[in-house]
Amino acid sequence: MTKPPTSPAPSLLTTFFDRPLPLYLTSAILRIIFLIYGLWQDANSPVKYTDIDYLVFTDAARFVAQGHSPYARETYRYTPVLAWLLLPTAKQTGNRYLDVALFSSGKILFALADLVAGWLLELILTRSKSLPPATARKFAAIWLLNPMVATISTRGSSEGLLGVLVTALLWAVLSGRVTLAGLLLGFSVHFKIYPFIYAPAIIWWMGRQPAASPPSSIASRALGFITLPRLQLTAVSLATFVMLNLSMYSSYGPEFLQHTYLHHVTRIDHRHNFSPYNSQLYLSSVFPDLSSSGLRIESVAFLPQLLLSCVFIPLALAKRDLAGAMLAQTFAFVSFNKVCTSQYFLWYMVLLPLYLPGSSFLENKKLGLAALGLWVLGQAGWLQQGYELEFLGNSTFLPGLWVASLVFFGVNCWILGVIIGDVGRR
Amino acid sequence: MRERITFIQKLGDSLDPAEVKVDRNVIKAPDVQAVREDRLSLALDELPAELQSLLNGLHELHIRWVSPIAYEAISPLLARLPPGFHVFFTPGNEIKATSTKPCETLAHVFGPQVSCSTPGDSFTALPNDRFSHSAAFQYFRPLDTLAPFIKYAESQLCSDKSCTDRLSALSSASTLDISYDTISHSLRITATWPYQRQKVHATARPNSRTEVGILSGDKPKTLEPHELGISGLLTVLGQDDKPSVAMFTFPSRHRDAESSFSAKFLSPTGLHPTLQLSLSSSKPPPGVAEDTCTPHAYLTLPNTIFPDKYQLSDPLFLASKNLTALRYVSSPIDLEAPDYVLKSWGSTVLLELSPPSAAAAATTAAGGGEWTVEIPLHLRYLAPSFTGYATVNAPYPAVFWACTAEEGTKFPNNPFEKVNLGYDGLFGPRTVFWHVEPKPVRGRELVNKVRVPVLDLSKAEWVNVGTAVAVLLGFLWVVWRLGGVVFGKTKKAAAEEKKKQ
Repeated sequence: MTKPPTSPAPSLLTTFFDRPLPLYLTSAILRIIFLIYGLWQDANSPVKYTDIDYLVFTDAARFVAQGHSPYARETYRYTPVLAWLLLPTAKQTGNRYLDVALFSSGKILFALADLVAGWLLELILTRSKSLPPATARKFAAIWLLNPMVATISTRGSSEGLLGVLVTALLWAVLSGRVTLAGLLLGFSVHFKIYPFIYAPAIIWWMGRQPAASPPSSIASRALGFITLPRLQLTAVSLATFVMLNLSMYSSYGPEFLQHTYLHHVTRIDHRHNFSPYNSQLYLSSVFPDLSSSGLRIESVAFLPQLLLSCVFIPLALAKRDLAGAMLAQTFAFVSFNKVCTSQYFLWYMVLLPLYLPGSSFLENKKLGLAALGLWVLGQAGWLQQGYELEFLGNSTFLPGLWVASLVFFGVNCWILGVIIGDVGRR
Repeated sequence: MRERITFIQKLGDSLDPAEVKVDRNVIKAPDVQAVREDRLSLALDELPAELQSLLNGLHELHIRWVSPIAYEAISPLLARLPPGFHVFFTPGNEIKATSTKPCETLAHVFGPQVSCSTPGDSFTALPNDRFSHSAAFQYFRPLDTLAPFIKYAESQLCSDKSCTDRLSALSSASTLDISYDTISHSLRITATWPYQRQKVHATARPNSRTEVGILSGDKPKTLEPHELGISGLLTVLGQDDKPSVAMFTFPSRHRDAESSFSAKFLSPTGLHPTLQLSLSSSKPPPGVAEDTCTPHAYLTLPNTIFPDKYQLSDPLFLASKNLTALRYVSSPIDLEAPDYVLKSWGSTVLLELSPPSAAAAATTAAGGGEWTVEIPLHLRYLAPSFTGYATVNAPYPAVFWACTAEEGTKFPNNPFEKVNLGYDGLFGPRTVFWHVEPKPVRGRELVNKVRVPVLDLSKAEWVNVGTAVAVLLGFLWVVWRLGGVVFGKTKKAAAEEKKKQ
């Protein structure tokens, strides 16, 4: 990399990143403005700023506060832990302003989670990637100052919590805190299932230092694979996951299993979304017994998704760059998933600042702009078809939405290919 | 068997008793402009075996069918329901909520459009905490014809032409009510025909008591505000040789609000159609204390179209639609599932409407004039079709002002009383329903059609293969890139290496 010519005077941009305060303060203020604006819009407009999901969480929290099950709220499909975290939102003091603040406490929590995730990104970038702090903050700003991220958390979507969990997991692993990593991994999987894909990458990465003398036989290689840290991580994360599930099951019974986990397996609601499988799922949900068409792609959809995100990508990339591998895994998992909405994009967006330094997208500006442009256009094309369906009532399922989802899927695969190439060079 | 035939004319119209000819079992009079109501009470053993065994096993069953064709209601027959086929059912000792018999019998009697599995699966539970008189379960289906019922009844009940003639006349009826409960132990069938020119001619059937009334609305000076009055001529065939003059007044739960409304979906409907009600008057019914009255809309929505109770809970949102509150919604309503996997018939909704305030109404040109209400609804995914579209029929709601009568007012059963209408059980016992007359936007039907986009099967041929190929290509591309990382150097790295050398 050639050094850019030193500028005569430090620009405003450089001073902004020189110290941590301006960045974190700006990120916090950005979220406070969004929060207050949201309160104003909710109070004055019939169109609400607050996400419907937030009303689901807070209703569930209210049920819990009254000693009921959070699953008494229809469409609550999360772990009870989330409802517990939001218990303050169910509190009523009688003071109007205090009550509004209490009701917003969940959003404040999600926004704080954003900030902590950003701070962890900075930590990882400086410690593990050896970037100077100012540069690290510049990359962390992609997350911290991203209006999409700030909007999602201040509207009350819980995806921001995933961001902090995953960055904390990565930080714990990279800094050798195996027990903490196990706890975080177990908890994250309990919270949102998908972080299980990180387990194989982390396990594989943990053996990255080549042994002094390469073992010769397969048996000794296999034995060499089983190391104490690996066993520790596996045991702690499994124990955390199992204990959490057992305790939730003992409190809420089969309802907990049904809504938190089984729902995602048995769901047949296939309201249009970005997934390439969407049209096929609609079709097959109507004719479940029709087998004349031979093998149905959606019945084996888990194969390409899990092979890529849990086997091939970890094996090929984890030892070269764990953060990059995790980004590629998440990207593959989301792109090949049977359901895909824009909230899922946050799952990989949080890992982007860790991958971007030195990536071809930044090295080659044209490539970077092309990728960003295609990613946005891919969604825009789909959204246009979705708008025609949802609001104008035009039957755009076929070919419009279907083709748009396949195009977007193609764009995602291409971007994933570039990411893989980049991480592979590290 | 007991039979009652009543012709009801409007206030002020009446027939000269001298024009009515009674000859033993036959009554004849000149045509009248009237509503006709026929009421038949049958003992259980007069019914087909299939119906006997069903009714014997259950506690109560009320069927209310309303024609989709708009009709004018004449006092005292003022109660209204959304057009379609309503069932109110309470299980008994033998016919339980899990029994398939009620649904099988209903489909057999009323035709395949009435499709359900068991009351437990397909019906919705009615709240039983308020008034003991409401049934346990409710069911509804849009149904625009009684033809299958007429055919069934002709084959099961008739042995002569006069019987089939009477039954086939049902094809022009505006309502049909069938009620049974274990206490009365008899089946009561009531049909009404719309206000039009009616032939007055009836013959008593052997072994049955037939009463014929030729009545019209009346307002005697002694009439209390909560009462209705009718007067006219009554004749019991085979017993009276001339009609006797009669007049009665009785308290009525159902009244005429003397205003009208129409309903239509705002365009474009999309997947979230909004039903707009246009009401002709924002003033409460005449002669009623304003503060005791609020307008309501009662909707019975088939499964394909549903309300979101969470959306209908925000006061600001409701106010922007001229709604006050969601007073009742049947539960559960799945907010996500496609139509074709649901067993339940749909949902009932009771909304309190928010008329413009008196001050706001005064500023408009026609004070207390027309106003609108918007009811946001949602469509389910429906099964694919070969045109890419499907049609959902949404019946008009019943719209009424619910007013609370003075303390101490009693509403004993009157001869034209209608109970078990679904919404009556959601109000207190002193509530009077002042009905707003539904008027079609165009045509004669009180049903709105929504065009729903669905997956177009004629274009679906390549979906399975196309999706598979796309996913496979994407997968292979990613694997190829991974292979490049594992088994070789990427081109760029190789090129860089070359450069270094």
